[in-house]
Amino acid sequence: MIELTPDLLGAVTKPARYTGGEWNAVRKDAAKVACRFALSMPDVYEVGMSNLGLKILYEVLNCRPDTAAERVYAPWPDMETAMRERRLPLYSLETFTAIREFDFLGFSLQYEMCYTNVLNMLDLAEIPVRAAERGEGAPFVVGGGPCVYNVEPVADFFDLFVIGEGEAVLGELVDAFIAWKGEGCPEGRRGFLLRAAALDGIYIPSLYEPRYDEAGMFQSLTPLHPAARPVIYKRLLADFDAAPAMTAPVVPYIGIVHDRIMLELFRGCSRGCRFCQAGIAYRPVRERSLPRLRELARQMADATGYDEMSLTSLSSADYSCLEPLVDTLMTDFAAARMSFSLPSLRVDSFSIELADKLQQIRKSGLTFAPEAGTQRLRDVINKGVTEEDLMAAVGAAFRRGWKAVKLYFMMGLPTETDEDIIGIARLAKKVVDLYTEIKGKRGVKVTVSVSCFVPKPYTPFQWFPQNTLAEFDRKQRLLKEHIRDRAIQYNYHDARVSRLEGVMARGDRRLAPVLYEAWRAGAKFDGWSDQFREEYWLSAFGKCGVDPAFYNERARSFDEPLPWSHTSPGVETGFLRREWEKAMAAALTADCRRGDCTGCGVCQRLGVRVVDGRRKDG
Amino acid sequence: MAEMKLSFIYRVAVTKGEALRYISHLDYAGAIQRAIRRAGLPAAYSEGFNPHMKISFASALAVGVTSDVEYFDLEMTEPLPPLDVAKRLKAALPPGIELLELRRLRKRKGTLMAEADEAGYTVDLPLTGTAEQARTAVAAFNAAAECVFHRATPKKTRDIEVKQYVAEDVALETDGDAARLTMKIRITPTGSVKPGEVLSLLVDRFGFPGDGKAAGLCRRSLTGRGKSLLEIDD
Repeated sequence: MIELTPDLLGAVTKPARYTGGEWNAVRKDAAKVACRFALSMPDVYEVGMSNLGLKILYEVLNCRPDTAAERVYAPWPDMETAMRERRLPLYSLETFTAIREFDFLGFSLQYEMCYTNVLNMLDLAEIPVRAAERGEGAPFVVGGGPCVYNVEPVADFFDLFVIGEGEAVLGELVDAFIAWKGEGCPEGRRGFLLRAAALDGIYIPSLYEPRYDEAGMFQSLTPLHPAARPVIYKRLLADFDAAPAMTAPVVPYIGIVHDRIMLELFRGCSRGCRFCQAGIAYRPVRERSLPRLRELARQMADATGYDEMSLTSLSSADYSCLEPLVDTLMTDFAAARMSFSLPSLRVDSFSIELADKLQQIRKSGLTFAPEAGTQRLRDVINKGVTEEDLMAAVGAAFRRGWKAVKLYFMMGLPTETDEDIIGIARLAKKVVDLYTEIKGKRGVKVTVSVSCFVPKPYTPFQWFPQNTLAEFDRKQRLLKEHIRDRAIQYNYHDARVSRLEGVMARGDRRLAPVLYEAWRAGAKFDGWSDQFREEYWLSAFGKCGVDPAFYNERARSFDEPLPWSHTSPGVETGFLRREWEKAMAAALTADCRRGDCTGCGVCQRLGVRVVDGRRKDG
Repeated sequence: MAEMKLSFIYRVAVTKGEALRYISHLDYAGAIQRAIRRAGLPAAYSEGFNPHMKISFASALAVGVTSDVEYFDLEMTEPLPPLDVAKRLKAALPPGIELLELRRLRKRKGTLMAEADEAGYTVDLPLTGTAEQARTAVAAFNAAAECVFHRATPKKTRDIEVKQYVAEDVALETDGDAARLTMKIRITPTGSVKPGEVLSLLVDRFGFPGDGKAAGLCRRSLTGRGKSLLEIDD
C-alpha cells in the first residue's frame, strides 16, 4: 500500500486530487476478487472524474463480485515531481495499490492530445511503456473511447483496444481473463491476447503489421495470426433502455469540471454534421424511456446528494419526450431544490423556452454553435441552422432576460473562403444589433469562440487537408480585423495544438517513435495551453525524420488505403464519399432519427436500429 | 418576527478526519450538505432564484488541519426526533466525517460563529534538533510580548500581531524525535490566527527545531465562554 505523508501532500496544489476516500468509491478486498481493473483517464483528477464513460464502467465492473475496479488519474506536474523524488509509483485512489499490481489498466482516450500523458502514467506506474517490452506480471493496458477510430499512433503502447461502447464488451473481456487465469495462464500474455482477439470489438495491435510502399505510402495492416480479424467493428448496446446504467457515481470532495448528476437521455446523434466524428461513432440514436430516466434520476439523487442534474446527450434538445421529462423531473425534485441544466442547446426558440423553464443561470449566458459564418458553408457541413433560426433563438433569449451569448465556430472547413470568415464577424454583429433593437439599449456581451478544424477519421471530411499554420494564422487575423464592436469578445484556439491533433488524428504507427521522443523530451498535458511546449514536438519530428504535414496537410485520394480502416464504427465508406460529394454541392442530408434511412450502413452492419419515441415505425 | 415560519434547529458535532485533511472548508461544508440530502432530512432552504440550504458552521478550519470536533447548525422544516435525525445522518456521512452528537436547540440563538471564541489545537511534528532547543524556542515565544506574522495570500498581504490571539502559553511535550505542541487560540470578531501560522513563527523566528512541512495539525476543541458549543444552550 502506498503511503502519502503530510510533507508530500502539504507541498502540492490540490492534494485532495490524490487522497481518494470519496462517497460511493468502492473498496474491495483484493484477496476476494479474481480480477483487478484500474480505470483511468490520462488527465488530471477534475477532468478524469467528469468523464461519463468511466463512471459507467466503474459501476458496471464493480457490480461483479469477482472484479474490483479502481480509479487513477494523471498527477499534476508538481505531484509527479514529488512522486518521482520519493520513488512512489502510480497508485489507485481506492486502496492505494500500485497500478503495476493490477490485471488491467484501462485508459479512456478522449482526444489525441492526451497521448503523452498515457506514456507518462505508464512510466510512473513502472510499467514498460511499449507493449512489446511488458513481461508476464504486467497489467494488460487497454484503450477505449473516441480515439479508437484511429489508434494507430499509440498502437505500440497498448496491449488491446475496446472498439465501441465499453459496457457491451468489458464483461466478456473480464470473463476471458478470469478463465485464462483459472487455467494457470496458458501460453502466457500472448495466450490471453489471442483469446481476447476472439471477442467481438477487441483489437489486439500486436497481431497486425503495417505495410508501406517504397514511397512511404500506407498499404495495409496485415494480420499476422488467424485470430486477427481484418476489421473490428464497434460493439454497442442495442437496447440502451434495458442496459445496466450508472446509479451511484463517486461524489468528489473537491469541485470537478462536471460536478453534478449526469442523466444520459440517449446515445448517438444522427443530425449528420459532416465534420463531426461523434455523430458517426455513436450511431444509431437510442433513447431511454421516460420511466427509466425518472427511475435513474431518483437513484442518482438519493445516492449522491447532488443538488444539480445535467440532462446529458450529444444533442439533448432532440430527446423525443424532453418537455414531459423536464416537467416530471421538476415536480419530482421540487422539494429537494434540484436544479437542472441542458448542456447542448439547439439553435431554436424551443430550446430557449426550455432553458428559461429550467432557470439556467443568466449571467453565464447561452451557448450556440452555428459552426460557420455563412449559410453556404453551413450547408457544406450539413449544419441545418439558418441565420433566421439563430436570430429567432437569441432574440427569444434576449426577451427572456439573457444578456450574454456565446457563439462557437470553426475555421479551416472545406471550401471555406475569406467571405465565410468575415461572415463570422458579421453574424456576431447582427446578434449585438438585435439586442440593441429589442432592448432599446446596448449592454449585451457576445463571445465568439473559433476553433481550428481538425479533419477526423470516419467523417466525410477524412480525406480533406487541414489548413496550414500560416493559413490559420492569416484567417485568425482577418477575423480579428473585422470584429470592431466592443460588445464582441473574440477567442481563438492555438493552431499549433490543432495541427498536432490533426497529425495524430489521421496518423499511422510511424508516429509512435515521435510520441515517444516528445514524451522523453518532456511533453505532457499537451491539451493544457499553459503546459503545451511545441518545441518538444518539433524536435521529435526532426529526430525521427517524420514530416507532420504528410499526415495533416496532404489531400488524400479516395482510393488511398487508410490506416484506420480496421477499427470501424460500422459506417460504409460509400456513404462518407456521397456525403463528401453532397458537401461540395452544398446539399443537405436529413436526420434519419425520425425520417428516412440515409444509408450510412451502421444499423445494417451491426444489426441494430434507431430507438426514438417519436419515430413512426418505433 | 412578524411572520412566524416554523423552523427547527439542530446543532451537530462532527469530526474532520485524516481522509479529509486536505479538503477546504467550503468543500467540507459541501460534503456535509450532500450528506444531509442523501439522508433525506427535511432541510430548510432560502427563498429565491438560487436556494441555499440553511446551515451554518462555527469556525472555518484551515486546509491541512483535521478536527476532533466541528459544529454546525442545521435548520429543518419538521421537528424530527434528534435520535432519528442522528441515525439518518450517520448513515449518509462520508468516511472521515463522524457524527459525535446532535441535539435540537430549544430556541433560535445567535450564530454559531459568534458563539465560538476559542479553539484548541495540537501540532505533531518530528524534531530536527534537541528537545532542549525546542523548549527554549517555545519559552521564548511564550515570553514575547508581541510577535508579528506576515500573512500573504494571492490577493493581499498583511501583518498580524499573533500574541493577542494566543490565549495561554503554548505547551510542549517531546518523546524522542517527536514533539507535540498544544495551543489555545482566541477567535474574535476582528480576527484570529491559524495554528500553522503560530508554528511557522516558532520555526522561523524562534528557532524551533522542527520540520513544519511534516506537521500534523488537529483541532481538539472549540468552545464558547469556556463551554462546549453543545452545552452553551443550557
